[in-house]
Amino acid sequence: MPWYFYLALKQLFPTGRKFPFFTAISVMGVALGVGVLVIVTSVMGGFGYELRRMIVQTDGEVQVKSRAIMDDAPGMLRTVRAIPGVVGATPYVAGPVMVLANGHPAFPMFRGLDLETVEGVANLGRFIRIGRLQDLDDDAVILSTEVAQQLGATPGDSIEIYSPLLIEKLKSDEIFLPRRFKVVGLFEIGHQHLDSTTIYGTIRAAQELYGLGQGAHGINVRLQPGVTEDEAVVRLNRVLPPGTQAFSWMQSWESFLWVLNLEKTINFFLLLFIVIIAAFSVMSSLLISVVRKTREIGLLGALGAKPREVALCFCVQAFIIGTTGTAIGVGLGFGVLAIRNHLVHGIAGFLNREDTLKQFYQFTNLPAHTELSDLVFTVVAAIVISTLAGLLPAWRAARLKPVEALRSE
Amino acid sequence: MSNAVLAGRALAKTYLSGDRRIAVLREVSLEVAAGESVSIRGESGSGKSTLLNLLSGLDAPDSGTIEWGGAAPAVDRRAKFLGMVFQSFYLIPELNAEQNVLMAARMVRTPTAAARARTKELLARVGLAERATHLPAQLSGGERQRVAVARALLNSPQLLLADEPTGNLDEQTGNAVVELLLELCRESRTALVLVTHNAAHAQKTSRGLFLHEGVLR
Ligand SMILES: Nc1ncnc2c1ncn2[C@@H]1O[C@H](COP(=O)(O)OP(=O)(O)O)[C@@H](O)[C@H]1O
Ligand SMILES: [Mg+2]
Repeated sequence: MPWYFYLALKQLFPTGRKFPFFTAISVMGVALGVGVLVIVTSVMGGFGYELRRMIVQTDGEVQVKSRAIMDDAPGMLRTVRAIPGVVGATPYVAGPVMVLANGHPAFPMFRGLDLETVEGVANLGRFIRIGRLQDLDDDAVILSTEVAQQLGATPGDSIEIYSPLLIEKLKSDEIFLPRRFKVVGLFEIGHQHLDSTTIYGTIRAAQELYGLGQGAHGINVRLQPGVTEDEAVVRLNRVLPPGTQAFSWMQSWESFLWVLNLEKTINFFLLLFIVIIAAFSVMSSLLISVVRKTREIGLLGALGAKPREVALCFCVQAFIIGTTGTAIGVGLGFGVLAIRNHLVHGIAGFLNREDTLKQFYQFTNLPAHTELSDLVFTVVAAIVISTLAGLLPAWRAARLKPVEALRSE
Repeated sequence: MSNAVLAGRALAKTYLSGDRRIAVLREVSLEVAAGESVSIRGESGSGKSTLLNLLSGLDAPDSGTIEWGGAAPAVDRRAKFLGMVFQSFYLIPELNAEQNVLMAARMVRTPTAAARARTKELLARVGLAERATHLPAQLSGGERQRVAVARALLNSPQLLLADEPTGNLDEQTGNAVVELLLELCRESRTALVLVTHNAAHAQKTSRGLFLHEGVLR
């Protein structure tokens, strides 16, 4: 080990001292900055990741949509299924309806599912809280807990659904009665946007409500693991007829994902300032150390140290503070992330605001997903910034002339 | 070329103090042979430290030349060629006695087992075998200076420059340190340049010089 590395370690962790107090303060500054960065980028990343999980598990990775109604849904299904990389495809009909129950109205999306094929694409079962997907028939629906709450409906209740078709018919003076459905279950996806607006029924019921005959609005597609959405979209679009197009879930949610990513990036750079401030404190403590150790620096010169090595001695100290702080910060960050839901619910519970939390937060549990690239970037940025903080003290130390340093009192 | 360990020829050094030029060294020449011990005396402010700094290569003369064993001083050679002892002991407070001594070896390369053994030996030789793991703050002035002496001799240098090594010590302790210094240098045939105020200490060296008004006599 070169002497400057040894001495740097010893100055930070002096022999015979149990707890290096001054070093600990500098290290904690960096650790806090890195910890906050890890937590915030992970939680922000969690929104994107949860969103992906929910969308993919309800709608599949890719959607095939027609500009008009997809009249030959079975034919289109065969085409889609023949594409390599596709493991499941299911047609759907989705549109807004009005629901009345117990005199309460609601205006959700009615999603008609093809019960025979839907399980090959979506994993809806895991979101169902009461009842089972198999309980659905052409006269039954499963409500999101949000819609059920709005309607004051519970499983076993009967609800009335009015479709836009009914209003069309009304204009031509035809009488078209609302359709009755029985509530057979409740589901909760965990995303406020998806939950508050959806009810599930069969595709036949939806076709009837919308007067589509055998037609569908689109096809949800599930891909083989390892096949990217973009690949599949390209392959699909090569064979789909004009007017019909495949979209990946990212394309469908592009603006939302872009905003999420922008927020994450902006947050990252704002919070990076904590690390920068911590680096300033590392710099100032090292500068003080250079002044305090002027005579020792002179002595090192007398022992044969070169100015470059003296500079390295201080750079290494900054580097050690930076890496130690970063390591602790990463640990701290993951520690807090591990107990994040307890923390959030604890605070909300303490303030009696659990309901507010649920109403305004997109998810019922605080999601977190750490992108490896975010983590690597945080770690590298923190270490580089703290090491840079050592440059000024190092330069000051290297510039000291041993003769003058030794003379200084 | 002489085969002197240390040779300074026609050294001059002037300091600028405000707008006054103080010629501290006018024309100083000095040769020290291998194993020789030389004392330099002079009033305070006569330029003794300035001279040692030139001889040690820490500072450059305005004119004149210096040779270490026949060649120009170079940073790369310093750690192995010479050791220095100062009035203030300049131990590194974060390191214990043993680590402070070993620092001299680290300047050359990662300490070998031999260097560690020699550290122990030297500490024992200066009477600090029991205090090897003590920090400088836990040692008395005399003990600290003895650690500094051990450090200066660790790399078996050819030359030892001591600038008033007893200046911060009481008489008795100072005498002991100078005895030790002379003895160790004699044993290892290290040339010694000892700057001192003390006539008795100067007497013990093989040659006594005076620095007065910028000239060495
Ligand atoms: N860096 C410097 N700048 C200005 N004057 C100096 C400097 N170093 C030494 N001097 C002056 O040079 C003279 C000799 O100093 P020094 O060599 O320390 O004397 P000594 O060691 O004999 O007591 C003193 O008058 C001191 O003030
Ligand atoms: Mg002096």
